[in-house]
Amino acid sequence: MTTTAEPQETKYTGKSQQRIEDPRLLTGHGTYIDDITVPRMIEGAVLRSPVAHARITRIDVSKAAELPGVFAVITGNDLVEFAGEQPVIWSVIPEQRIARAHALATDTVRWVGQGVAAVAAVDRYVAEDALELIEVDYEPLPVVADLEQALAPDAPKLYEDWPDNISGSMTFPAGDADAAFAEADVVVGASFRHHAGYGCSIETRGCIANWDVFAGKLDMWLGTQAPNLARDLLAQVLSLPVDKIRVRTPDLGGGFGLKFDFYPDEIIAAILSRRTKRPVKLLEDRQESFVSSSRARDMRHDFEMALRSDGTIIGLRGTAYAVLGGALGTVGSGPPWASVLACMGPYKIPNQELTLKAVMTNRSPYGSYRGWGMPKANIVHERLIEFAARKLGMSRIDLRRMNFPTPEEFPYFSGAAFTYDSGRYADCLDLATSAVNERGWNVRQREGREAGRSIGIGYGFHTEVGAFGPSRVLNMVGLDHSGFDEVRIRMDSTGKVTVLSGQSAMGQGTHTTYAQLAADGLGVPIEDVTIVTGDTESCPYTGYGTGGSRAATLGGAAIVNASGRLKSKILRIGAELLEANPDDLEISDGRVSVRGAADASVSTADIGYSAYRMLNGRLPESETPTLEEIDVFDPANMTTSYGCTALLVEVDRQTGAVTLLDCLQAHDAGVIINPLLADGQLAGGLAQAFGGGLFEEFVYDEDGQINTASFMDYLLPSATDIPPFHFYHQETPAPHIPGGMKGLGEAGTIAGVSVVASAIDDALSDLGVAVTEFPMTPPRLLELIRAAQSAGVTA
Amino acid sequence: MKPPPFEYRSAHDSTETVELLTEYGDDAKILAGGQSLVPLMNFRMARPSVLIDINQTQDMTGIREDDGHLVIGAMARQRVLERDPTAGVAVPLLPAALAHTGHTTNRNRGTFGGSLAHADPAAELPALLVAMGGELTVKGPSGTRIVPAEDFFLAPLTTTLAYNEILVSARLPRLPSGTGTAVEELARRHGDFAIVSVMAAVHLDSNGRADLVRLAAGGVDSTPIRLHEAESVLSGGTLDETSIDAAATAAADASHPVDDVHGTASYRRDMVRVLVARAIRSAIANR
Amino acid sequence: MSDKHTVTVTVTVNGQVYTGDCEPRMTLADFLRHECGLTGTHLGCEHGVCGACTVLLDDVAARSCLTFAVQADGARITTVEGLAEGEQLNTLQKSFQEHHGLQCGFCTSGMLMCATELLRENPNPTETEVREGISGVLCRCTGYDSIVKSVMAAAGDQRDAVSEAGSAR
Ligand SMILES: Cc1cc2nc3c(=O)[nH]c(=O)nc-3n(C[C@H](O)[C@H](O)[C@H](O)COP(=O)(O)OP(=O)(O)OC[C@H]3O[C@@H](n4cnc5c(N)ncnc54)[C@H](O)[C@@H]3O)c2cc1C
Ligand code: FES
Ligand code: FES
Repeated sequence: MTTTAEPQETKYTGKSQQRIEDPRLLTGHGTYIDDITVPRMIEGAVLRSPVAHARITRIDVSKAAELPGVFAVITGNDLVEFAGEQPVIWSVIPEQRIARAHALATDTVRWVGQGVAAVAAVDRYVAEDALELIEVDYEPLPVVADLEQALAPDAPKLYEDWPDNISGSMTFPAGDADAAFAEADVVVGASFRHHAGYGCSIETRGCIANWDVFAGKLDMWLGTQAPNLARDLLAQVLSLPVDKIRVRTPDLGGGFGLKFDFYPDEIIAAILSRRTKRPVKLLEDRQESFVSSSRARDMRHDFEMALRSDGTIIGLRGTAYAVLGGALGTVGSGPPWASVLACMGPYKIPNQELTLKAVMTNRSPYGSYRGWGMPKANIVHERLIEFAARKLGMSRIDLRRMNFPTPEEFPYFSGAAFTYDSGRYADCLDLATSAVNERGWNVRQREGREAGRSIGIGYGFHTEVGAFGPSRVLNMVGLDHSGFDEVRIRMDSTGKVTVLSGQSAMGQGTHTTYAQLAADGLGVPIEDVTIVTGDTESCPYTGYGTGGSRAATLGGAAIVNASGRLKSKILRIGAELLEANPDDLEISDGRVSVRGAADASVSTADIGYSAYRMLNGRLPESETPTLEEIDVFDPANMTTSYGCTALLVEVDRQTGAVTLLDCLQAHDAGVIINPLLADGQLAGGLAQAFGGGLFEEFVYDEDGQINTASFMDYLLPSATDIPPFHFYHQETPAPHIPGGMKGLGEAGTIAGVSVVASAIDDALSDLGVAVTEFPMTPPRLLELIRAAQSAGVTA
Repeated sequence: MKPPPFEYRSAHDSTETVELLTEYGDDAKILAGGQSLVPLMNFRMARPSVLIDINQTQDMTGIREDDGHLVIGAMARQRVLERDPTAGVAVPLLPAALAHTGHTTNRNRGTFGGSLAHADPAAELPALLVAMGGELTVKGPSGTRIVPAEDFFLAPLTTTLAYNEILVSARLPRLPSGTGTAVEELARRHGDFAIVSVMAAVHLDSNGRADLVRLAAGGVDSTPIRLHEAESVLSGGTLDETSIDAAATAAADASHPVDDVHGTASYRRDMVRVLVARAIRSAIANR
Repeated sequence: MSDKHTVTVTVTVNGQVYTGDCEPRMTLADFLRHECGLTGTHLGCEHGVCGACTVLLDDVAARSCLTFAVQADGARITTVEGLAEGEQLNTLQKSFQEHHGLQCGFCTSGMLMCATELLRENPNPTETEVREGISGVLCRCTGYDSIVKSVMAAAGDQRDAVSEAGSAR
């Protein structure tokens, strides 16, 4: 195992450095996908199926093709000439039936929004006009609109040659769950339902494809979190060699996992470009996004927990149902699988039996969304432990504390898959509860209650698996991709630094944090560091992509390693120039000097000059010219950050409306590179989780139609819905990550859903309400309140 | 989400608007603030072949008092109306209702008349007009006619306006001093269309008996509804918990909501009861 | 297309006059982005809800996705590109940088334009007023708290600047 290399200089690391990205973005000088125009570019649009399940009996594109301004119209049959089926990179369930589809349907549509035909035209206005002229006849097939219907014994089938609608199923055992439940003093259980939602970046997805057969190249601008993966998958689907494909990413207007996945649109744009011999821009618009971007969260977890009367948890078992769509998306059933693997959370549970069932329905493909299954794992363990506390008459805080692994027990194997690297869980819990006191929430609650208001305090403890992950382990569990990260760091002839990374910048401030790490690693001013990302032709390969809290942990570790080696070379050259021993030298603020004798110094510009231009007499004979280091970092294990979130809410018992009043989180993500940005990540994630907990839902009808395909009905929380945030950090470095970072990109989304339920329950504790469904909308909550009230009356 | 093509005409005043509407017939639509029409066009759910832009007209923007009434031009911007001191004093329900109508940026462009003509059953201004017993002035080729608010709204997004008529203004009676008013609204988020909204105005005589009660609700029927039954429960009596509850129940009975993604019909009916009671109580408190 | 009915639109954006031909159906947002090359104004929904496309139209904040370019003929428009003072960020922009009021930057143009109007109308807003004022602009990244802090701090800085200017006189 690599030992922790603490950055020696921490002029920047750990400081709330302002972002170097900001001036550009604040002045409208960012360049997002729709801001890019390449010469001769035309625009595309996709005709999407208006029905959830049907056979296509006729498509007539002739009228559309005749419309002035239209360059090409393609259907599924045109597409299959050049393209294979869409890729599925995660096959987590042994012997799973993997339902793949082409980028445009060829004979059957299996979800509302599946692509049926596509147009390239002079601009998007005309392209949309042309879509209206395409005639399609659909012969309706029976629709499997939801999970329960899909599981029914007489359910219509999505795939005729399958025995049922189940794509696959697997169980993770640990210990002897049956015995544990048999001997338990207390068992609590529930069916938890998180309805569908999506990442919903404010910028939709988009790409510009330029497939020039004469140049023999496919050049693509793509708003993606995983440019290297996209290039490999383009190669796979289009049967092109990777070296003939270039993927560049512009600024991303948010990613949130949604832009990790590889979509049909990339292939459609490529084919339209090949057809028209023009670069084609294809943007998803907001209305489409509800059916054409990865659907997520949609799962049911029927789980129960067994405890002894003293509060010791002895067992956890249950079945998780993934509501997959009409075909598998890029990540298959990866997120539902993660929700099962992580559902014991921070607790020591010796006996487990965890089952995943992946079920097909006539909904759009399931895919990535920040949190990647873990928000639902969190719902399972955090809800059940609170139900248990109630039943045992114990404090929900104490019950949590007594079931944590102690700091000495790390590395701790959680039972199903993950080994948690390090942690001080109880300290973190105490940090949160004392912050709740400090902020006077208990007083607010008491006074509010005295005034007849229903104020509740919710708690949630979460673990977040980051630094995703050791390549060979990922391969072993079913990923057709790796998990390492590569960084190239270069000092130029003027002594300035460029860091090239395969990670994507999507708003999380990667360029700033990387510049902080590189500046500290090399001992140069941060202004001297430039970060370059987003071009497969010039930037290194990263396994996976930007997701799973990989950027700070793996990319960061690679920067720490590479800059450490580059610094040694700089010092060796400095030693030659200063006629000193490299061991006596230090570098700070871009000057190499003899330790303790600052007047004897040279600048990094002198070093650069010696390494690139005036080698004679300046560059030691033993050194190769240039100043460049590459580091490929493949972690030995994932990291596990964790935190305790507390939420203050008010419930209106007459309407079921919930108001979020205040929120705090105590958090440990190992070494924090930039507290300002860390807090931003946590807050943003929590806000998304509150969206999922209270507002955001794809509502479907019995025909599989989505009734919430606009921002008037799919409700993103706004500034009046989200409370203020307060963060408290604790730092337990990851022992196996150079730099000690653990990652925190998904913490908020994981922690924030269950804590809403906890707070609502607390506000209504006199009624004994137990929230198990998300989003908990006012009508749903009012129903729970009424049911509890009438149960109270009859009891 | 690009709108279908259309021909664009800009009208100089209401008379020219009526002429253009008559010329183009059914295919033409008036474009006011665009906050409802343009989204529909971008979704291609509305596809007028001619748009008659009335943003350059000058004869429909005024907000003035006239003989115990407040007269509001159809082209008064919602944001201007919200902050107009005369309007706020004459009809305190106006700023209160407008605070729930979308967001400031929508109200900057959105017009008073556009909201009425659009006739969304969950919109605040139509419910307010109905509560206040307002009258709408409609101009057509043969002159103007006056339509009481309760007769103006026919169905969701449907009014009595003929294809070649334009709404030019509306009149609202000024409430006697000492009248308490309240807007109670339940919406999923700030600025969203109401799940249920209730407008209330209450005046008590020297004996503490209600001599003026005005109640209306939005979001609970195909048009905003005046809650006559609830009003008569309260009129002439003292307003105590019993009568308020009875009025709230009468209001719930009078509403005919439908299910949608934000709430079932029965939830909405429940909410009428809750919000009517709250509105009456806060109207009394606001006197 | 040549056989389509087009209109000529002239607008003054950030002090610069632009003239272009377009179909009447072209939204002001698309006109600014494609005809004027001002891509700082973003489109997040094209139906009036997200606020990313907010610009000042004759000094009043408006959704440029719900306004047709032809309607803006002759108008004076300020977009996010017009906020900086020379080569310096203005007070509001600086405050967003200081308080991490942006992550991906996509909603930011709309946030800044909306907040510009808010602070002009209410130089001394409460936190609740700021939250209500920006509630028409959706941000998916920040969780809003840092934006609220940015706007509140900018209000403070603007007040300080005014009182300094006052005492200098
Ligand atoms: C994000 C968002 C949130 C919103 N939230 C709410 C809300 O909470 N409550 C609410 O009530 N509204 C809400 N709205 C709608 C808003 O209030 C609109 O401004 C209003 O409904 C229409 O007014 P307008 O001037 O924009 O009309 P337009 O959109 O221009 O026109 C609407 C309709 O009315 C017709 N019309 C307009 N003026 C006249 C006239 N003088 N005579 C005859 N016909 C005319 C048009 O032809 C069109 O059919 C919201 C809008 C948005 C975009
Ligand atoms: S793009 Fe105009 S409001 Fe969303
Ligand atoms: S900063 Fe990304 S949407 Fe607001």
